[in-house]
Amino acid sequence: MGSVVSAVELTKRFGEVTAVDGLSFELEAGTITGFLGPNGAGKTTTLRMLLGLAEPTRGRALVFSRRFAELERPATRVGAVLDSADLHPGRSGRDHLRVLAGVAGAPPGRAEELLELVDLAGAARRRVGGYSLGMRQRLSLAAALLGDPELLVLDEPANGLDPEGVRWLRDFLRAFAAEGRTVLVSSHHLAEVAQTVERVVIVNRGRLVADVPLGEIVAGSSSLEDVFLELTAEPEP
Amino acid sequence: MSAQLRSELLKARTTRTAAGLLLCAVALTLLGVFVEGLSGTAAELARAKQQRLLLGAGSSGAGFFATFAGLVAVTAEFRYGTIRPTLLAEPRRRVVLAAKLAAAVPVGIVFAVVCLGLSFAAGLAILAARHAVVVLTTGDLAALALGSVAATALGAVLGVAVGALIRNQLAAVLAVVAYAFLVDAIVFAAVPSVGRFLPGKAGDALSGRPVDDLLSPSAGGAVLVAWTIALVALAAVRSDRSDV
Repeated sequence: MGSVVSAVELTKRFGEVTAVDGLSFELEAGTITGFLGPNGAGKTTTLRMLLGLAEPTRGRALVFSRRFAELERPATRVGAVLDSADLHPGRSGRDHLRVLAGVAGAPPGRAEELLELVDLAGAARRRVGGYSLGMRQRLSLAAALLGDPELLVLDEPANGLDPEGVRWLRDFLRAFAAEGRTVLVSSHHLAEVAQTVERVVIVNRGRLVADVPLGEIVAGSSSLEDVFLELTAEPEP
Repeated sequence: MSAQLRSELLKARTTRTAAGLLLCAVALTLLGVFVEGLSGTAAELARAKQQRLLLGAGSSGAGFFATFAGLVAVTAEFRYGTIRPTLLAEPRRRVVLAAKLAAAVPVGIVFAVVCLGLSFAAGLAILAARHAVVVLTTGDLAALALGSVAATALGAVLGVAVGALIRNQLAAVLAVVAYAFLVDAIVFAAVPSVGRFLPGKAGDALSGRPVDDLLSPSAGGAVLVAWTIALVALAAVRSDRSDV
């Protein structure tokens, strides 16, 4: 039984730019990990490599000890939301789930169940173009859950959620992890992260700058925000 | 694979895009029928060539807009980012591409059946109204219909391949429009012996369009299949290699 997620010397270059630079970290089952870093730190690129959407220039990105593309029925192992804008504006919320449900291995009725769960049953027949950002986030989360996955990878899932939605998401993720499942969540909302996650992986300029339990960071007088800003500060010229 | 194919067919039915393109194809078909059926003299209308143009008027609109339907089936996924949820559920890129190519076939058939049905029905009504005897045999009509259906289905498949190659929706649409109205037309007009091997003219030949210098329908079909295979192969390589 290996790690749920394992990045080994993961590197991605786009031409001259090194977006991710020798990044290594692992996630154990049943944990919620915050994946933090300033804009352009390489968070989304790392997640894309873990999810088989981008090919690493060097290094390995493994989920359940395999490359994502080698997973059997990946949606039953991994659910992910990279960008809540990844929806067709002309398709209804329900249809967005229906087109993915069969491939994801979702049983009949699963889509309706998830629409209830994310509180979109009333808007399910409306086209997504008329949805608010928070509704899109919730629909994307529902899509990620179609296959009843063991690992959730979420990129900025709290964006656009109202306070009630943020609390709901926090409770949902905690319950998800309490079942022995695993969450990797990237975020800029440090105060929110501090309330949700058990561990933080912080990257800056594509490199790992911290991989520690949250308790260690906030044990002293400094907050997660203090530590984050210190670790990701631009060097003095 | 069959799950992915069902997903692709459902995608085509759950936005208004394909239906809108079908409406455009119907409009172009009606325009073609009226131009071919009403502009000429009754004597012209009695000739086999004019009757082919009239009854087969649906093939142009069907082929052109079915190609767009195939194109948009791929490029909309990149435009709206739905390619990411698609590939998270089925990361084998070739399975997704194959499902999109396969789903384009019934879409193309629907376009052809609707448009050809319309041009046959309206065309025969115009011939009857203008007292022109139908000189095309049942065999001629069957070849016209089947050739058009095959050409339209291949057009939709080609659209998927071109969409997978170009990805950017606007660029892909402009490329196909520029190709159809400039490259295809100019090369065929200037050098018909070369131009008739281009996919557009090969499709016209397969559809049984009565235009001088076109290949025979079967040769046109073979050339169109060859173009389709070549572009699908390029699209497969591109989709294997690219990040999304």
